[in-house]
Amino acid sequence: MVKKTGLLFLGLTLISNLSNAQISGSLESTGQRYVDDNKIQLDGEDAEHRYRSNSYLKLDYITGSWSFGVQGESYLPLSLLNYNPELKGVDIGTVYARYSNKKLGLDVTAGHFYEQFGSGLILRSWEDRQLGINNAILGGRVEYAPADALTFTFLGGRQRVGLGFDLSKGTLYGANIEAGLSDILAISTVDISFGLSYVGRYEDYEHRYLNGNNAHLVNSYSGRLSVSKGGFYSEIEYVHKGKDLLMNMGAPLIDGNKKAGNAFLLDLGYARKGLGVNASLRRMENMRFYSQHDLDGNVFNRGVVNYVPALTKQYDYALQNIYVYQAQPQYQTTPKIAAGEIGGQLDLYYKFKKNSALGGKYGTQVALNTSYWGGLDIEGDPETGMYTTKALGFGDKYYNDMAVEVRKKWSKNWSSVFMYLNQHYNRGYIEGKGGMVNATTATAETTYKFGKSQSIRMEGQHQWVKDNFKNWAAATVEYGLDQHWSFYVHDSYNYGLDKIHYYNLGASFSKNSSRVALSYGRQRGGLLCVGGVCRMVTEAAGFTLYVSTSF
Amino acid sequence: MRLTYVFIAATMLLVHLSASGQSQEIPSVPLKALTGKHFDTVQFNERENPVILSFWATWCGPCLKELDAINDVYADWQEETGVELYAISTDDSRGIKRVKPLVNGKGWEFEVLLDENQDFQRKMNVVAMPTVLVVYKGKIIYQHTSYVPGSENKLYEKILEYSK
Repeated sequence: MVKKTGLLFLGLTLISNLSNAQISGSLESTGQRYVDDNKIQLDGEDAEHRYRSNSYLKLDYITGSWSFGVQGESYLPLSLLNYNPELKGVDIGTVYARYSNKKLGLDVTAGHFYEQFGSGLILRSWEDRQLGINNAILGGRVEYAPADALTFTFLGGRQRVGLGFDLSKGTLYGANIEAGLSDILAISTVDISFGLSYVGRYEDYEHRYLNGNNAHLVNSYSGRLSVSKGGFYSEIEYVHKGKDLLMNMGAPLIDGNKKAGNAFLLDLGYARKGLGVNASLRRMENMRFYSQHDLDGNVFNRGVVNYVPALTKQYDYALQNIYVYQAQPQYQTTPKIAAGEIGGQLDLYYKFKKNSALGGKYGTQVALNTSYWGGLDIEGDPETGMYTTKALGFGDKYYNDMAVEVRKKWSKNWSSVFMYLNQHYNRGYIEGKGGMVNATTATAETTYKFGKSQSIRMEGQHQWVKDNFKNWAAATVEYGLDQHWSFYVHDSYNYGLDKIHYYNLGASFSKNSSRVALSYGRQRGGLLCVGGVCRMVTEAAGFTLYVSTSF
Repeated sequence: MRLTYVFIAATMLLVHLSASGQSQEIPSVPLKALTGKHFDTVQFNERENPVILSFWATWCGPCLKELDAINDVYADWQEETGVELYAISTDDSRGIKRVKPLVNGKGWEFEVLLDENQDFQRKMNVVAMPTVLVVYKGKIIYQHTSYVPGSENKLYEKILEYSK
């Protein structure tokens, strides 16, 4: 395998010498050396391998309408802590050949590909290296676009769940239409478009609970419509997921009971210069969807077919990310029968104009956001595990938050950000322990530019909580020497409960398309969330070296 | 031992590629404008003046600072050089509905495009945000990842070099 990869690189070098073809690619690598200190120690397996690294080398070769690519991945000697431990060694991650001809409106891929239908509620395959997600589909994809505003997509294949052609046992089939009606019918007063999708999952398996009552093929459908006129816009999506086994903690119910699932999403918004408002409402029932039935609920997000992010704002500052909501689309029987979530979020952005009373010389930016999420109004039968729900009813409260952010530029070289956040987090339900946590977090940040290209950024945070981790205080100082060099020191201090400092210090150098960063410090355990998907990470301390470049 | 072999081959390839320079044309990827209209990225190759592509996301703090800072001077930049900025949002369905209100609420003057499943980001080999690229007559003439206050001045110096 290793030898093959080497030959591949040599081959590519030769080919690119001989032709006018283009080669491009990127290299990204993170290495960590874990060091025990007086508060944080690794134990068991983890402690035996103290140096770990994740690296990705991606190469694309383009010649005319054809392109070929490969992503090699190495986890040496093992993957970083909290990543899927089955990722180890060096191997091919993804590989593809693609023919794309714009005149014919044709785009054909064989090999691994990424795809999303609609908002992803029915299908999304994507890569997120920070979370260790890569659920690319290995198979074939054909896209035909007879016009700019009309696209048909057909695909089939099996999802990547590990390294080097380690694939999910189930096969996915998909078809999608996207149509811009206003463009096709030449309507200029209002913008209307719609989309329709089908996703099927076929899996052949036996289970001792099922007595041959297997859900081999699960058919799912999605319909979408968006309408916008002037500053107003709206979008609606409905997904029906076909009858599938009800799974609890990765195993089917003892009678092999099945249920269908569904999701409903509505977005409404208005925007004009200086003002923007958006409201999203969503209800999901039994909407977990995996390409292999026994991957249900796995912590590494392997084999996920659809994307169901928490519809809450993703916050920037450390202490705002201690109590993070995760979407609850799933069926479960403990602590009691639950089958989904219902709720919504509202966002408002406003800018006080320059030279107005509140705007000052440079204007003042304000952002408000709030969200509320709860369980469905459900009646469950503990004997059979079956349930019935009400369409618009609310059950237990899972989470709600409210935040205000003010951005203010004081002078040419001096600016600040202030933020206030209040969260109610049902820890008992989301993490399976404890009760409702009520957290209030205040943040202030200021940046000052001086000299030719130097800058200093300081940030202070405080979180007030009566229970769970109790109070926290945090501060950051960051110094930018110029556009290349930057240095920072950060500390999050949990003085309310554990009396522990999670400190970090680091330096980074960026030039052209390359970046190198070195840091030392402690990583807080808990939920690490990127783009609405989360994974649990354990505490660790040590050095991190990060290198990335593209060409 | 075999790893060393791969490493040497990969290094040779990298050296070769750096020597050949960043010469690739911008590939065709279908993006969406905030109006919902389709936008083909090959258009970036055909512009008279330099084009800035800025990869950002609503959840990326430094990205918002960089784009706010450029917005403050964007009218001057355009008047002096005719440069155009396209801010490529890589938000997925969690944040994508926040893009339009945010852009309007901030009063950004440049174009914003949506790259919802990061197809364009992947094709351009952008691994971290914020990343700015400057494209001039189909060639990438400048690239920078990360933002510290004042980086926008360096970016502008580069644009001045390439404008009449």
